[in-house]
Amino acid sequence: MSFARLGLWLLRRERASGEWRVLLLALVIGVGSVSTTGFLGDRIKRAMSEQGASFLGADLLVTSPRPIDAWPAHSLRTSSALEFASMVSRGDAFQLATLRAVDAAYPLRGEVRIADRPFEAGTPRPAQPPPGAIHVDQELLTLLNAEVGDTVQIGESTFRIAGVVVEEPGQLGGVFGFAPRVFLRADEIEATRVLQPGSRLTWLYQFAGEPEPLSNFSAALKPTLETTQRLIGSRDGVETLRGAFANADHYLQLTALISLLLSVAAIAIAAHRHALRHYDQAALLRCMGATTAQLRVLYTVQLLVLGLLGSLAGVAIGALTQQALAGLILPEAVTRLPSLGAAPVGVAVVSGLLALAGASLPALMRLIRVPPLRVLRRDLPPLPAAAWLSASVSGSALLILIAWYAGDAKLVAGFVGALAALVAVLVLLARLALVAGRGVQKISYGPLRFGLAQMLRHRFDSTLQLGAFTLALFLVALLALVRSDLVDGWRQQLPENAPNHFLVNIAPHQQDAVAAYLAEHRLEASELYPMVRGRLVSKNGIPIADTLPPEARDSNTLRRELNLTWTATLPANNALLAGTWHGERRGPEISVEAGMAERLNLALGDTLGFESGDQTIAARITSIRGVKWESMQPNFFVIFAPGQLDTLPASSIASVYVPPDAAGVLAGFVKTFPGITILALDKLIANIEAVFAQIIGAIQLLLGFLLAAGMAVVVATLLASLDARQQEAVLLRTLGAQRAYLAKGLWSEFIALGVLAGLLASVCAEVAMALIAERLFDLPPRLHPWLWLALPTAGALLVGMSGWLTTRHITRVPPLQSIRALG
Amino acid sequence: MTPPDSAQFPNAVVAARALSQQVPTADGLLAILSEVELAVQAGETLAITGASGSGKSTLLGLLAGLDQPSAGEIMLLGQRLGNLDEDARARLRAGRIGFVFQSFQLLPALTALENVLLPLELAGRADARERAAHWLDRVGLAARAGHTPRQLSGGEQQRVAIARAFATDPEIVFADEPTGNLDADTGARIIDLLFELNASARTTLILVTHDDALASRCQRRLHLVAGRTHETALA
Repeated sequence: MSFARLGLWLLRRERASGEWRVLLLALVIGVGSVSTTGFLGDRIKRAMSEQGASFLGADLLVTSPRPIDAWPAHSLRTSSALEFASMVSRGDAFQLATLRAVDAAYPLRGEVRIADRPFEAGTPRPAQPPPGAIHVDQELLTLLNAEVGDTVQIGESTFRIAGVVVEEPGQLGGVFGFAPRVFLRADEIEATRVLQPGSRLTWLYQFAGEPEPLSNFSAALKPTLETTQRLIGSRDGVETLRGAFANADHYLQLTALISLLLSVAAIAIAAHRHALRHYDQAALLRCMGATTAQLRVLYTVQLLVLGLLGSLAGVAIGALTQQALAGLILPEAVTRLPSLGAAPVGVAVVSGLLALAGASLPALMRLIRVPPLRVLRRDLPPLPAAAWLSASVSGSALLILIAWYAGDAKLVAGFVGALAALVAVLVLLARLALVAGRGVQKISYGPLRFGLAQMLRHRFDSTLQLGAFTLALFLVALLALVRSDLVDGWRQQLPENAPNHFLVNIAPHQQDAVAAYLAEHRLEASELYPMVRGRLVSKNGIPIADTLPPEARDSNTLRRELNLTWTATLPANNALLAGTWHGERRGPEISVEAGMAERLNLALGDTLGFESGDQTIAARITSIRGVKWESMQPNFFVIFAPGQLDTLPASSIASVYVPPDAAGVLAGFVKTFPGITILALDKLIANIEAVFAQIIGAIQLLLGFLLAAGMAVVVATLLASLDARQQEAVLLRTLGAQRAYLAKGLWSEFIALGVLAGLLASVCAEVAMALIAERLFDLPPRLHPWLWLALPTAGALLVGMSGWLTTRHITRVPPLQSIRALG
Repeated sequence: MTPPDSAQFPNAVVAARALSQQVPTADGLLAILSEVELAVQAGETLAITGASGSGKSTLLGLLAGLDQPSAGEIMLLGQRLGNLDEDARARLRAGRIGFVFQSFQLLPALTALENVLLPLELAGRADARERAAHWLDRVGLAARAGHTPRQLSGGEQQRVAIARAFATDPEIVFADEPTGNLDADTGARIIDLLFELNASARTTLILVTHDDALASRCQRRLHLVAGRTHETALA
């Protein structure tokens, strides 16, 4: 029999042994974790690549807030569309939607699939609906409680729903869109009268053709575009999205990697114990004539088989979990994602083998160097394998693993550094906690004292268990806090009766009627602010971009059009920080928000130039304001003195508080003023919250692996100390200790460990959360008493259960039998 | 010093000349064996006796090639062990040398039959399974073939170990205190079995014991006192 087969044979006979099970379990958890993110990432990436040009719906896309009339000469196929937000209503139900008015040529690349009924696969059809009809998202049907064939109101027009949009170009990117899609005919917008001066519009110009004319066209076009206009090649679109996705994917993968590394700790401990328990076997085989090379084959084959089994089981679990994960983060897109790919299977299996190699090589190398003389002298330790060799072999295996997932050297260094710092902090905390445990032990008695003594005596094990579990609980808690605190914090900061709806797009002729309607229904509304859209182009006569350092030129404030307003009275939630408020003065004066002034390096006395439509307006900064953005009032970066913008087309905006019981009033409002857009802040916040919950739920699912890996570490370390524990238990029982005493001792030990881990995790989570709240979100830090109860309880339960299940049998073995077994 | 060789010991399967073993301790080198001379002919039975710590097991380990001496030469199955490295010595043992240990050394995960099968498989014997079953039958445990060591008594475990030692038709069987872990009755029966099998297989048997009754069944006895030999012919 070859030694490879002998290895398999022995492995099969030993498959029930504890170490193999823990090792396999840890591997399954670790690989499950990385393959989950691997599968998901791969599916999304392939979806993006497969879409290619169809992602944009064209080879080239130009977006602009204003229509573009003059184009360089070209021979390309073209299509144009106009996108804007508007209300769609049916009966008492109304919903903000993203309308895209398209021509017959849309899309130039890729396809739009339209179905006659919801949840059907649909057929490729032109996006442009027949006259008097629209195509809508499935979501809108649900929100309006409508079916295909029903009619809905948009502005002053009525449309029949002709089909459900199942698929459209670029859809993956718009997964988190808050307003469902509506396709309508470009030539039917006019009649709806929803477009007002000041409406936020996006013109989409699509081009398709041969590569050469395309590149000529794009070269000729580029210099003529303004900063608010963007030229996107089909590759750019996918690349931009892919870049953003790759970043997110990276961090998800690294989260998964933490679970794998924690599993490595469990595997290393299990492998070490396995080696210890197989020194006799190895010595016997050497006695019977096995050479080192043959033993190497034997144990390598065993490890390889375990590695493959564990990795494949991990991959299977990963395949299941990624589907759940996809459902959490991409609920709409799941069905459209390509099926599972083979590549992540390879990646996960190789990761599993690398992790296993890194974790168990030192133990394996010791095992094959057992001196045969051990058969006669049991105390003989195996020859020490060259320590630097085994350390460098397994060190490089783990480093390769980290490098593989982290991608670039900087991230590897960062990850390894952060990991080392985290381990150092956790070890320090765990040691401190154990010192505290010693204090408790001194004043305790009976089994509790015995249990705590065990915990303190296995100091290395306890530190490892505490560290692993603290890490897992800490990360899980932190995510829960981020999710609840940020949204709560934001909500709590809103003053009571703060406006909860914005009314946008109010035409000048509607202003009085709107005010009257609101007054009639006793709704508290803010002042009506006129709104003109304009682009900041210059400062003191110099193009604004030239006045800024290169890294600041890409500011959003420059790229998009600003909402400009005018008023004589300083808005209630604004505070004058510098200069004098222009008041009734009717000169070319403006007041600028402090944050914008800082970002764009603006000072009192500077003259800013704005472009709106074909007009240019210049005005001098005479005051700088602080704005309470969270006041939910209409707030503006730039406020002009009265009279300066009179010649420009303007619509108005107001905010209003609608009490929960007066929601019906809004339905009436939409019917009366179909062209006015209502933005419901509660819905917006709820949407943000839902997206937050989705993303965090997905990460928490990954942290489930981390918790499982933490439990594997606990079980592996306990198994490693099981023989010594059994010996003690036998001694105690022989001396007359009852089974219940031993059981209580074990429970005390594990519950104490779990509680300590929970407390440490609470400390870490509170500190981290306070930093996040203060630094990133400007919210006051606060304590979470429930955390201090929940984490120690969870810790006590999880560590207690896994500890008890691993060690309970030592309380049940009759002393005589145990003495024999150990003899 | 002339090293022993086949010419000097025409029929010797194991021979040692000027064999010494020293181990480093806190107080300097400790001599465990000094100047041991020995030659065992094929088919002979030899008992190595002595008090605890007299170096019996060390000598056994050296003769079987499990360890290397500090000085002196060992000839095993016609090969000079000093010229062989660890792996070469292992290859020399494969299939040609059997062992019986005080603590049985059965693999706990394998059944009685599989434990006997193990050295046969390692030696690549074609009829391994039949031979293993045959030898298990010879030691009277055919009915327990599927039992693991945990399910067997100490005496039964040692019988499995004896079957394992003889299964490959070895030229030499080394036994280290084969009755050390057994009660007197069981020990006596194990000894009977050991000598019966040895006689029928014409194997060379070298055993370490401090049991006079056991030693007296061997043809020769090598008595160790503080690492030095005093040889007596017995039978």
